[in-house]
Amino acid sequence: MKELSLMDENGKRSDGRGIDELRSINITVGVVKNADGSAYIEFGKNKIIVAVYGPREVHPKHMALPDRCVLRCRYHMSPFSTDTRKNPAPSRREVEISKVMRESLEPSLILSDYPRAVIDVFVEVLQADGGSRCAGINAASVALADAGINMRDLVSACAAGRLSENIVLDINDLEDKEGDADMPVAYLPNLEQVTLLQLDGKLTTAQFSECLEKAISGCKLVYEIQKEALMKKYFGNEMELKEEA
Amino acid sequence: MQEIKRKYVIPGDKIIEGNYKPLMNVVKSGNYLVSTRVGIAEAGKDGVKVIPLSGVYIPRVNDLVIGKIIDRSSLSWDVDINACFFAHLPAQDVFGRDFSPAKDDMGRQLSIGDLIIARIVSFDRTRDPMLTVQDKDLGKIPYGEFIKISPTRVPRLIGKRGSMIQTIEQATQTRVIIGQNGIVVVTGRDPDGLSLAAKAIKLVEEESHTTNLTQRVKSLLNVQDPEDPEQPESMNVSSSTELSSKQPQSSTESSTESSTELSSKQPQSSTESSTSNNSKSGSTSKEKHRNDNSEKSSNNGSNNDPKEKKQE
Repeated sequence: MKELSLMDENGKRSDGRGIDELRSINITVGVVKNADGSAYIEFGKNKIIVAVYGPREVHPKHMALPDRCVLRCRYHMSPFSTDTRKNPAPSRREVEISKVMRESLEPSLILSDYPRAVIDVFVEVLQADGGSRCAGINAASVALADAGINMRDLVSACAAGRLSENIVLDINDLEDKEGDADMPVAYLPNLEQVTLLQLDGKLTTAQFSECLEKAISGCKLVYEIQKEALMKKYFGNEMELKEEA
Repeated sequence: MQEIKRKYVIPGDKIIEGNYKPLMNVVKSGNYLVSTRVGIAEAGKDGVKVIPLSGVYIPRVNDLVIGKIIDRSSLSWDVDINACFFAHLPAQDVFGRDFSPAKDDMGRQLSIGDLIIARIVSFDRTRDPMLTVQDKDLGKIPYGEFIKISPTRVPRLIGKRGSMIQTIEQATQTRVIIGQNGIVVVTGRDPDGLSLAAKAIKLVEEESHTTNLTQRVKSLLNVQDPEDPEQPESMNVSSSTELSSKQPQSSTESSTESSTELSSKQPQSSTESSTSNNSKSGSTSKEKHRNDNSEKSSNNGSNNDPKEKKQE
């Protein structure tokens, strides 16, 4: 019963995608004027806005670290982001996602360049459709680059999962709820390092390897979109610098 | 001349392979030099750097900054310099070495909300920036139009050897004070000139990465002659003396000497002797600050404008 609703006989998923197909992604950079860096991402039906403030003075001051910058991350779902009203108070899930997002972004940042300061990342989910943590990480990474914070690499995130025997890329809300496994992965594409790997469900060793490989390939596709969004903001449609004589 | 390869980069982009020296906003990763910022990478024989296009102001020693007094303790003022740390201005710097918190009233010199132009004398990883106003043209800014721009656009606003800002000043009959921290104060008598100057500064900020910006600024300001000769000194003198008439008076001998041209209208006998040659020194010291800023920015990537060289 389950397989029938999630994947048809032609190998098409509930929303019409193939097993290796990403949802449509659209990133806009610099949408919040008051923030030092910001980005808005539409990842399928996910709509997320991210604002980055900093490096700035730490309050309360006792949180400051003498040798590096503090990274604070707040993932929050708006009350209207889901079909039934979501209580705006931070839930257990939001606190956890804030933590994993921070830990996935931290390796990409050169925090030792800004001692005694703080960088605040606010991730506000306006509309949720499964995979919002991955979408949030993608937008946060772009917003951090927009804020001019020293980074080793961008962070790209994408989930993969299992629907019955099929390993599929970028699972949506329905597949997340009804599917057999969900594995969000965040990845540094140039450094080829994984900064986040979670798994909800059961996979065999072979399935795990396939799932990870597929998620990483998805991250690489997302990276190209992130890169394009940043380039568009700062250099227009010109991707190459034309040297003048 | 050395060969320079330039390209647009984002964080993580490989700039060049080989044994080059990483200069600014570049890290070594294996055999590659990798950018850490969005900007324009320049690879030369002396090393590789990335001129950033975004970012907040990070204080540097000797930078000229405009700050707002936000708090006062018994021995110093706290100044918001639009950076990640508040700066300190010691009261001794303004009152002299014989400053006594019991005798001297700090509020008489600078009160909360005042705008000052100051130089950063010390800053490192462990300490907050320390300011000084003991120099020519430094101190309280009594009035003017306050404009905030991105610190990365400051070198573009100054232009090569101050060309851009001179154009704006001459066309609008105003005086523009620029802090390396992205705060700009425009002063002048004519309200239309002030608003036009503000408009031109905003144009430079918004379109700093585009080509032919100087021409567009000139057309906005209705400047006909593309190659304007030297700035008329008379305008500078009037604006600088006007500004200086309300500068805080320094009580020590050492500071009196440095602030003579600022305090030309103050009724103090020691300063009067030097007012006769103010006209020259007033404009030259201002020029010097700009050239300093401009040169510093071109040496240091963090506040540089990427296309300055290309466009000028």
